[in-house]
Amino acid sequence: MFENATKQLRETVEAALPELNTVVGWRAGYDPLHMTPVFIKNAGDLSKLEWSPFCVQNLSGYLVKDPAVRAQDPSKKIGICVKGCDSRSLVALIQEKFIERNQIHVFGIPCRGTVDWRRVMKLGPLTGIQSARVEESRLVVEDANGGHTFALEDVLARKCLRCAHPNPVIHDVLIGEPVTPRVAVENSYGEVERMEEQSLEDRLGFWKKELDKCLRCYACRNACPLCVCQDRCIAETREPRWLTQRVGTSEKFLFHFIHALHLAGRCTECGECERACPMEIPVTLIKEKLNKITLELMSYEAGMDPEAVPPLLTFNPGETGL
Amino acid sequence: MSGSNSVPVTEQGMKIVGFLCNWCSYGGADTAGVCRFKQPTDLRIIRIPCTGRMDPLFAAKSLIYGADGVLVSGCHPRDCHYAVGNLYARRRLEVLKHFLPFMGIDPRRFHYTWVSASEGQLWQRVVTDFSEQIHQLGPNPGIGAESEIFEKLGN
Repeated sequence: MFENATKQLRETVEAALPELNTVVGWRAGYDPLHMTPVFIKNAGDLSKLEWSPFCVQNLSGYLVKDPAVRAQDPSKKIGICVKGCDSRSLVALIQEKFIERNQIHVFGIPCRGTVDWRRVMKLGPLTGIQSARVEESRLVVEDANGGHTFALEDVLARKCLRCAHPNPVIHDVLIGEPVTPRVAVENSYGEVERMEEQSLEDRLGFWKKELDKCLRCYACRNACPLCVCQDRCIAETREPRWLTQRVGTSEKFLFHFIHALHLAGRCTECGECERACPMEIPVTLIKEKLNKITLELMSYEAGMDPEAVPPLLTFNPGETGL
Repeated sequence: MSGSNSVPVTEQGMKIVGFLCNWCSYGGADTAGVCRFKQPTDLRIIRIPCTGRMDPLFAAKSLIYGADGVLVSGCHPRDCHYAVGNLYARRRLEVLKHFLPFMGIDPRRFHYTWVSASEGQLWQRVVTDFSEQIHQLGPNPGIGAESEIFEKLGN
């Protein structure tokens, strides 16, 4: 069912390519469960471009993070393929003036969820994967030992199971039909709510256990399309010196506070931090809580309106109760 | 003046970090001192130019590294020396207050409020009430091994 979408994507990109410098998309990776980003510059590369539920990466970071994709010819735009969640990162970047809407050409793809390869591997250790495809609500994988079928619900990424915005918020062209969201925004914070039901001590214990695993490799920060401080990140600067080289849990706590609080009211929950984490720490959960707070206090949802100002970058003098 | 002698005698000093804005609350604390209102001595004051300068991470870092409490105080909303600094601060600090318990840090250890330069008595009440609250909560257990460093430095 994704062959058609891939075909349609290639045709749409081909039609727009003469007006574009580069198109950022996905191509096949080192095995059928993995995709990898691709930069299409000419029509000859179009056959590499693919779309499937294995296209997990949020590509919008490539527009702002060094070495950022820049237009060689300023009269031409940069094309980018986005899922629903990725498009919200684009909106957030437009809001904060890191990119201009009229400099990008957005290929929006309604998304039914992406496959988390780690969940697949946990369910069945697979070796020598030959093919992987999603059919309706099943994932079918063929490896050296034959065929394996998984229920899609068991292998979708955590962020996809609570997805409220499967359709791109902004797009120049839409590839495929819009998808019905799984949940409403108000109901998408189930895991945060389950955490909130625990006692303070249990929550501290949970985060101590989880964050103690942190290597401070900063992969979460590097994967985040909205962590835009680049080499000025205060987690690494000597002056001001927020963090030391000590390996204690408190340093790890503080790093994750830095990451989360810098994203408060900005994070679009694309889940890249959690996907990039080599220690499988549920780091997106921290940002989900902050988003729930800004939703409840300021009725704000990040990355929905390019004209809006993120709530912590502005104020409301008439606000009461705060 | 009736409240001026009602400060509890504390058995053990607590470490409370106070971030006070230069124009109102720092002046308010000064007023309280000039009027010789008795105040608990657990508060270590850090003067900041405006609560708009107050990075929520200042409070987070203090609490993570074992400070027993963090008190932030600035000009009343609409009275900011820089017109709007405290309005930014209000949103950020409110978000922080809601966020701390999610990470397992007791939100009662963090308080933000507004005290003007003339409100010496109000300042006395704020600092007395907050210190009492922190004494009831007891020492901050902190996050992990690194908190020991704080203890060594403090005692």
